[in-house]
Amino acid sequence: MDASKQVHVPEEEFEIPQELTAELSQKRRSQGRIIFDRFVRNKVATVGAIFLTILVLCCLLVPFIPGHTTPDTVGQTTPFAGMSWQYPFGGDNLGRDTFARAMIGGRISLLVALTSMLISILLGTVVGALAGYYGGWVDNILMRITDTILTVPLYLLLFVLSATFTDGTPTSVIFLIAIFGWTTSARLVRGEFLALKQREFVQAASTIGARGMRLMFYHILPNAAGPIIVNATLLVGSNIILESVLSFFGFGVSIPVASWGSMINQGRDYFDSSPRLILIPGILIFLTVLSCNLVGDGLRDALDPHMTER
Amino acid sequence: MGQYLIRRLLQAIPLLILTSILMFLLIHAIPGGPDAVYDNPNMDQAGRQALRASFGLNDPLPVQYFKWVGNALHGNFGTSLYTSQPVSEVLTQRFPATLELFLSAFVLSLIMTVILGTVSAAYQGKALDYTLTSLAYFGISMPIFLLGLLMQDVFASSLNWLPPSGTATLGYTFSPFNAFLDHLMHLVMPMIVLAVTFTARWSRYLRTSMIDVTRQDYMRTGRAKGVTPSRLLLQHALRNAVIPLITIVAIDFGSVAGGAAITEGVFAWPGMGQLFIDSLNRRDYPVLLTSLLLSAVFVILFNLLADVLYGVMDPRIRYS
Repeated sequence: MDASKQVHVPEEEFEIPQELTAELSQKRRSQGRIIFDRFVRNKVATVGAIFLTILVLCCLLVPFIPGHTTPDTVGQTTPFAGMSWQYPFGGDNLGRDTFARAMIGGRISLLVALTSMLISILLGTVVGALAGYYGGWVDNILMRITDTILTVPLYLLLFVLSATFTDGTPTSVIFLIAIFGWTTSARLVRGEFLALKQREFVQAASTIGARGMRLMFYHILPNAAGPIIVNATLLVGSNIILESVLSFFGFGVSIPVASWGSMINQGRDYFDSSPRLILIPGILIFLTVLSCNLVGDGLRDALDPHMTER
Repeated sequence: MGQYLIRRLLQAIPLLILTSILMFLLIHAIPGGPDAVYDNPNMDQAGRQALRASFGLNDPLPVQYFKWVGNALHGNFGTSLYTSQPVSEVLTQRFPATLELFLSAFVLSLIMTVILGTVSAAYQGKALDYTLTSLAYFGISMPIFLLGLLMQDVFASSLNWLPPSGTATLGYTFSPFNAFLDHLMHLVMPMIVLAVTFTARWSRYLRTSMIDVTRQDYMRTGRAKGVTPSRLLLQHALRNAVIPLITIVAIDFGSVAGGAAITEGVFAWPGMGQLFIDSLNRRDYPVLLTSLLLSAVFVILFNLLADVLYGVMDPRIRYS
C-alpha cells in the first residue's frame, strides 16, 4: 500500500463543515473539563469539595492566624473557658486554645488519613495490578495474602498492633493504617485489570510490542483510574474514622500531640461538664468524613457516565 | 451443591492455617509475654527461667505453634493469664452478650432497611428519597463512638429515659420480669447505635438493587397485567432485590465473634469486643489469640454461608 495516500485520506474526511464550526468548537471540551462539569452539576458533592478545601486551608494556615499560633501552650485561656470572640471554641481542660488545637489536630488527622491513603492505594494498586495482569500463581499467592488479612476484623488487628508497635507518633499510626488498608484497593484493581486486559486496546498495544510494566502501568492503569480515585476518596474518610477510633481507645496518636481522635479521647473525661471538648473534634470528623463520602460518590458519577443515568 | 460446599470448606482450611500462623506470630512479636505479666521484683533469674519454661516459651517458635495448634484442636485454648480460667470459659461467658446485641441490632436493622430501602426506591428522585438518602449519609459518616456518646448525653443524662451503660441496674433486686425489662432498657441504646451503621449501609444497597429490579421486563409485564403498584413492589420486586442484601448481611454477621468493640466500649456492654480491649490492656495473650482466631473462623464461615445462601435464594446461580 502507498503510505502517503493513507495519510491524506483521513484529513479530507475529518474536515469540518463550515456552517457547524461555531457550535462544534463551542461544545468541544477536554476530558478533564467534561468530568469537572459533570461533578459540579452535583451540588451536594460540590459543597463537600468546597468544605474540604476550606478545612485544609484552615488547617494549613492556622499557625499564621494572629492569636491562635500556640495550640500547645497550657493556660492560654482559663480552663474550660466558654466560647468567645477571641477563642471561638473556648479553652480545654488545661486552658489551651481549642480552636488552634482543632485546626492543628485536623492537620494531623488529615495528614494521617491522606498519607495512609496514598500508601494503601499505591500498595493496593501494585498488588492488584500484578495479580490481575499475571494471574496464575502470582495471583494465587497475592490474593491468599489479601484474604488472610481480610479474615481478621480490622479493628481487632489494629488494636493489637497499635497497642504494641506504635509509639503514639503520627508516622507510626500512618503506617499501621496503611499496612492493612490496601486489601480492598488491591481487590478492586485486580478486578479492573482482569476485565481490562481482555480488551482490544490492550491486545493492540501488546501487538506493537508493549510488554509487562509498560502494558500494565501505561496502558491498563489509566483506564482503571476512575474506580481507584473514587476508592481513594472514600478511603480518606474511613481512615479519619480509624484514626479517631484508635485514639479514642488510647491506641492512636498519643495525647500531647493534638489530633481529632486524641482530643476526643482527652475530652471524654469532661463530657458531662463541657461536651464541647468532644463535640468540636467530633463534628469536624463527621463533616470531613461526610464530605469525603459525598465527593467520592460525586466523582464516581462524574467519572462513570453509565452510572449517572440511574 | 454438595460438591461445591466441600470444595469451599477445603479451600478454607489453608486460609485458616495461614491466618493462625499470622496471628500466632503477631501475638508472639508483642514485647513482653506471660513472664512480663507474672513478673515481680522478688523473683530471681532462676525463677524467671522456670516461669518461662513452665509456659513453654523456651521452645523454638514452630514447636510452640504446633503445641498450641494441637491443644486448640483438642478444644484446649490455654488459660487466661488474668483470671486463670480456661480461655474457652472466658469466651463462652462473654459470647451471649455480644450475640444478644448483634441479633437484636440485626433484626432492627433488617426491618428498617426493608422499609427505608423500599420507600427510597419507590419514591426515587422525590423529596422523601432525598431525605432518606441524607439520613443514610449521616449514618455512614457518623463515628460510632460519637453517636454513642451523644445518645448517652441526650437520653441518659438529660432526659433520663434510658440507663447510660451496663446490662442491669446495680443495687436493686427486681422480680424476674422487672429484671428482664430493666435489661431490655439497657439494651436499647447500644442496639440502636449498632443498628444505625448497618441500616445506613444496607438501605443504600437495597435501594440500588430495588431500582435495578424495577427496570426489568417482568415488572413491566406485571404492571401491564394490572398488578397493583404496592403489590408489585412488595411481592415481585422486593423478593429479588433482597438477594444481594442477604450476602452482605451474612458477611456482616461474621464479625459477631470479634464483637462490636466501639459500641461495647462506649456502653460498657460486656461482650467480645470489650473483652478484647480489656485483654489487650491486661496483656492476656491466650485470650487475645483465641478471640482473633475465633473471629477469623466466623468471618470465613459466614462468607461461605453468604455464597451458599445466594445460591439458595437465586436458583439461577450455578456453582462451579
